[in-house]
Amino acid sequence: MSSETGRSSGIASRISGAAGRAGGAALDRLTTVTGPINRVLQPLANVYNRLIGGYFGEMNGLQFVLVVGTLVGLLTAPFWGNYALIQAMIAASIWAILAMGWDIQSGYTGYISFGHSVLSGGAGYTTAMLIHNVNPELPMLVTIPVSVLAALGIGLLIALPSLRLSGPYFSLITFVAVLIFYRMMNPLSEYTGGETGLAGVEKIFDITEPVQSYYLFLLPMLAVAVALLIVARSNIGLILLAIRENESAVEAAGINATKFKIWSFMLSSIPMGIGGVLLAHRFGGVDPGSFIVVDNSIEMIAMAVVGGMGSILGPLGGAFFIILMEDIVLHAFGLDAQLRWAILWIIVLLILVFARQGLFRKLWYGLERLGGDRR
Amino acid sequence: MANEDNNNRNLGRNGKSSLGRRTFLGAAGAGAVTTTLAGCLGGVGGDDDDGIFKIGHLAPTGMAMGVGSERSAEIAVDEVGKVRDQEIELISENTETDPGGTSEIVERMIVEDNVDLLVGTFSSEVTQRITGTIADEDVPFIITGSADQSTMANTTGDDYEHNKNIFRTGPINSELQAEAMADYAEFLSDEHGWNTFGHLSEEAAWTKSFQELLPDELRSRGFDVPYDDTVSLSTDNYTSILDDLESEGVDAVLRFFASGGQGKLLKPWITNRYPFAVEGTHVASMNPEFWGQTEGICQYETTAQSGGGGVTDITDKTMDFVETYQDEYGDDGAPTKPMYMGFNTYDAIHFYSEVAEEAGTINYNDDLDDIVEAMHSVEYTGAAAEISLYGEDSDYPNDAKETRTDGKISNYPVTQWQPNEDDEGGHQELVYPAANSSGDHIAPPWM
Amino acid sequence: MLDQILSVLLLGAVVSAIYALVAIGFTMIFGVGGVLNLAHGGLIMFGAYAYVVLTSSSVVGAIAVPPAAGFVIAVIATALASYALYAGLVRYIEDNVVITFLSTVMVALLLTNLIHYRFGANPQGTPSVLSGSLHLEGFGTRIGYMYILGFVLSWITIGLLWYYVTQTDEGRSILATSMSERGAQLTGVNLLSVKSRTWLIAGAFAGIAGVILGTVEPTTPQMWLNPLANAFIIVVIGGIGSIKGSVVAAYLIGYLQQFTTEFIGQGYVGIPSLIVLVAVLLLLPEGLYGREFAHE
Repeated sequence: MSSETGRSSGIASRISGAAGRAGGAALDRLTTVTGPINRVLQPLANVYNRLIGGYFGEMNGLQFVLVVGTLVGLLTAPFWGNYALIQAMIAASIWAILAMGWDIQSGYTGYISFGHSVLSGGAGYTTAMLIHNVNPELPMLVTIPVSVLAALGIGLLIALPSLRLSGPYFSLITFVAVLIFYRMMNPLSEYTGGETGLAGVEKIFDITEPVQSYYLFLLPMLAVAVALLIVARSNIGLILLAIRENESAVEAAGINATKFKIWSFMLSSIPMGIGGVLLAHRFGGVDPGSFIVVDNSIEMIAMAVVGGMGSILGPLGGAFFIILMEDIVLHAFGLDAQLRWAILWIIVLLILVFARQGLFRKLWYGLERLGGDRR
Repeated sequence: MANEDNNNRNLGRNGKSSLGRRTFLGAAGAGAVTTTLAGCLGGVGGDDDDGIFKIGHLAPTGMAMGVGSERSAEIAVDEVGKVRDQEIELISENTETDPGGTSEIVERMIVEDNVDLLVGTFSSEVTQRITGTIADEDVPFIITGSADQSTMANTTGDDYEHNKNIFRTGPINSELQAEAMADYAEFLSDEHGWNTFGHLSEEAAWTKSFQELLPDELRSRGFDVPYDDTVSLSTDNYTSILDDLESEGVDAVLRFFASGGQGKLLKPWITNRYPFAVEGTHVASMNPEFWGQTEGICQYETTAQSGGGGVTDITDKTMDFVETYQDEYGDDGAPTKPMYMGFNTYDAIHFYSEVAEEAGTINYNDDLDDIVEAMHSVEYTGAAAEISLYGEDSDYPNDAKETRTDGKISNYPVTQWQPNEDDEGGHQELVYPAANSSGDHIAPPWM
Repeated sequence: MLDQILSVLLLGAVVSAIYALVAIGFTMIFGVGGVLNLAHGGLIMFGAYAYVVLTSSSVVGAIAVPPAAGFVIAVIATALASYALYAGLVRYIEDNVVITFLSTVMVALLLTNLIHYRFGANPQGTPSVLSGSLHLEGFGTRIGYMYILGFVLSWITIGLLWYYVTQTDEGRSILATSMSERGAQLTGVNLLSVKSRTWLIAGAFAGIAGVILGTVEPTTPQMWLNPLANAFIIVVIGGIGSIKGSVVAAYLIGYLQQFTTEFIGQGYVGIPSLIVLVAVLLLLPEGLYGREFAHE
């Protein structure tokens, strides 16, 4: 089995190598224009670099503009977007949390988990089941922490037995975890609502006040992004990356890799729990098809990979990209639902093949190159 | 990196100018934001009364059932013409049987499109997910696809005041259907002398009533029910089920499939000529193209369906509607007839136009009680059945009432696929209730 | 009681035979290239629909070949489609496990959406190559001739494959590659040729399974989900890359499911398989006949 770190081989690498060089040459020519722009913006970026660059990594001027611009855009979206866009961005915020949560574990350690939908689904279902079976009046202050704890608990349950196994077997166990949870829905349908799920969860999205509601989803997402970035840039993140590259070396250095693998799973369970809770509160209920099914895990993975695995911000971008494509862009053409999905999958496939490092990583490195003036 | 760019020297001394630059950029940014404020969210929660009566139609239009419903809605809108002197606009969206996506569609319909009426939904998950929002906003919603009894039990049956804008004009709910199925079993017994029945339901919310009520109903009428089971949606091989049914000696199996079945039962049943009849409800079989699609393996199976498949008149409006549908859409592909949801949607829209006249208003924000009262007082003869709704204090508030003839439920027609006389293809016959039937119920000839 | 056991034995055999067909293709690709080919399910669907298009005049009016010919052509078409999938896509990305896996998922989804668009979600009837059934009065059960055909074909193809893989040089190079890619290369095996042949064979198996499944059950765009899930479980239990393992595990799972259906109840069909799967993963991760997951 060839290396898993993404080095191309054979014809693929020759083609993409050639394309890369051609593209690179074009970028270099552009630097006569963009270089100066970058130099103009660099001081701004340097203020940031001095202040908090140590936590998040440093940026050049163009990258700084990208980040700030996106941030401004996200924060002001209700003022320039229409209703459908706000709905899509709320959905994207929730999925971004899920994709980032997946990334800190799978993207960083390289242990690909298909079972993350169980974590978010577990949290969502905990909320709904508490409301349905225990007390419909339970305040969110109670249900939310309990649900996130439930996600942690499920995460521990899955992680402990499986992380001592190597790559593909770990992935298989996580896949089976989803199947098992799904199968449990119907026999326990009195508590779980079977395949129609449960309703009655308080909706935090007020349909006549979309602006306020929007921030209830965006801000947690940004908080999760910041928190995960800090973790990813810290020593823990380094160790996780090292595990992905060469686990034996990590062990040889005296670090207990399994402990850190479990840590990463625990760490990722928290945003998964938050995401699951937000999803349940968005529409006021849960059902297996929207929460548990393995399709959801695959969607998270696709978002993370499209954006750029192992970078936290990549999956964030990937989530927004896919959801906005799905809900806004493709709808504009008025096609049959099946064709819309087919086109979306083709786009994702093209990205997977030709930009396997992820769209946003490519963008990031592209901006770095456009900044000219290398170190 | 200390010297990563050559501007290090400038940072200290040019602080002022960089501040200046920053201020400039900040001002430019603010300017950009303010100019785009011009394109702000206009119309959110805006004008309720725009002079047009808007109907939001929700159905899985990727499936034949949803397409039939959409077309029927359009026919109804054409025929009704105006409601309270307002032009009608139909806004139809594909639910894709996705609860989350449909929730977003409903939100947009209420807030952006200002719909005055919502009609449709086929899948129980979708219905359950959207009733919360709809109840919050008081928009009248008439369910025309899912028959699950718990949909109303969890809404109007639980908190009537909050959910009183949710109605169902057809099909009759699953508990009533269970009783109607037992009536049908008596009919089969009268016709063919069958007294032993099996019950097989797919694992789904809508079959819960059949699972809980049907076997006992049948036994209370003197029938034997030696086989009673559910089957998961992922089962592919039905041979052992068929073997069991045969060994229990059933005369007919009452099976209930919506997503399941789909011929997985029929293929081995007809290839191996199991000696019993296949009765009950099978949504796939309602499709007028089913015979052609399955190359005739559906012969002799029956299914209950609202509107009786458009085979013959159930009311004096049935065939008129079917003919209009075929004139309009006969060449546009499947389905060539409205299917049960189409009948119910068509009737629901006509029903509501009568309600609007009776209530004298369509303004649900201010006059919801008038509208609800009219929904209860209006009795309307639709293309599928005579429609009237249960009141607030009944077992099934706001749900469609069953009609009874001689104590038996009669708005529950059953059709059977029978081979054509020339042996080329097949057609549906309405076999029950006898008063409306177009043909006799035929037992499979190999029994 | 006796006839229940007998019916389980018989039905279990024919059902397992079809599972084996699907699992073998899956495990070969996984074993040889390390590729988790989730489009394999899509190939099953492709085979079934190819058969429908070829034999049923209701779809493409001009074509209507007799079922037996349609069967053969559909299988060849599926094998070629599988090869095209490898040569046109997977070959360029197979070094990265995640990308390959996701890409095959995308292909499977793409195929499903396109077929749904073209044919609709409703089941397509398919003319049987052999219609009718064998009624075994004594055993209280009936077995459709297509099931019997599937059983026979399954064993014939497995036998042919076994011969090919163990007795011919070409076939042995496939086994060699699945054991150690580098080792195979060092002994002069042309990797590209081996992998292409593997995908071709796997595609043929998927095609056969697709046509048989499409005949005994209705053909819909979702028809491949269950067979693929079962194949997945079977391959893990049997051991990745092991043909013998797939066959043994297929019969294990097939019989387990029939047994559950007959004696425990319809609703619990999937559960014992999952329990066995979890047990195997925790206790014997390489599966019954698998090799240790070896790094390069």
